Amino acid sequence: MALGKIKADTLEHSTAGSLDTKFVVRGSAKVWLRSTDAAVLTQSFNVSSGTDNNPGNYTYAFTNSFNYSADHGGIGAMAGPDNAYFRKAANNGPAGSLQVRGVTAPGTGGGPAGVDTECSLTIHGDLA
Amino acid sequence: METPQFQGTHLFDRLCWAKENLEPHQSDYRVVYEDSVDECAKILVPDPNWMACALQGGILPPVQVYWELAKDEAQPDFVKHTRGHLLHNTKPVEAMTEEQALEYLIMKDCPQHVWRDWDSGNKPKLVICRKEQLPATREWRNAWKISEELATDETVAA
Repeated sequence: MALGKIKADTLEHSTAGSLDTKFVVRGSAKVWLRSTDAAVLTQSFNVSSGTDNNPGNYTYAFTNSFNYSADHGGIGAMAGPDNAYFRKAANNGPAGSLQVRGVTAPGTGGGPAGVDTECSLTIHGDLA
Repeated sequence: METPQFQGTHLFDRLCWAKENLEPHQSDYRVVYEDSVDECAKILVPDPNWMACALQGGILPPVQVYWELAKDEAQPDFVKHTRGHLLHNTKPVEAMTEEQALEYLIMKDCPQHVWRDWDSGNKPKLVICRKEQLPATREWRNAWKISEELATDETVAA
């Protein structure tokens, strides 16, 4: 691969200390995306597809899988616009995809309801 | 643009190269499938950057690599992938047509029980269609199903 490389284990600032580069590599987002309420991806990286499962329920599959499944804490971090937010869906196991739900904020009368929503999310973790 | 020799290069690095060098391709096709008779149809949408990689060739690993990783994950004692090297070291697939890319994506991202016997019932469990063929609005989204009028014959597959 004809790309320039800088190999370094540590970045050191003149006064503010040093940082091990493994934190930079491991701390970078490995997946990011923006999609419509029909799971159509408009901005993305390391995503192979979006699936519109049912209202407010989406699955995003990755090109480069993660090392760990979501159940083992390998991946996470989501965000939604307006009055919707996302949470892990129940069957959230595979390391090669993530299922998310758009839900209304929980009210006093019961649990949150699924709702169609645009989605923006980044995911961190170690890749396979 | 010619794809660099990527066999042995980490897949993530290849995706970085693709992001810098390839134009995303937003497909007009959708994969509609029914995972369960009790649930509404699911709509799979290809990612534009992934599709660009598929059309370019020399970037993506063979789909069988994902099956191998899925087998590992299916083990009851699975905690962490130990065969991720298959993604990076297996010879990448050549350039695909959009149709071939959709078939690859179905075999990667749809449940195997759906695509392996998609035509075993009275109607297909899986259909590739143009986005215009989906309902125009998301009203009654919970009730979307593959039409009973479709038959599992060669006409549908074509």
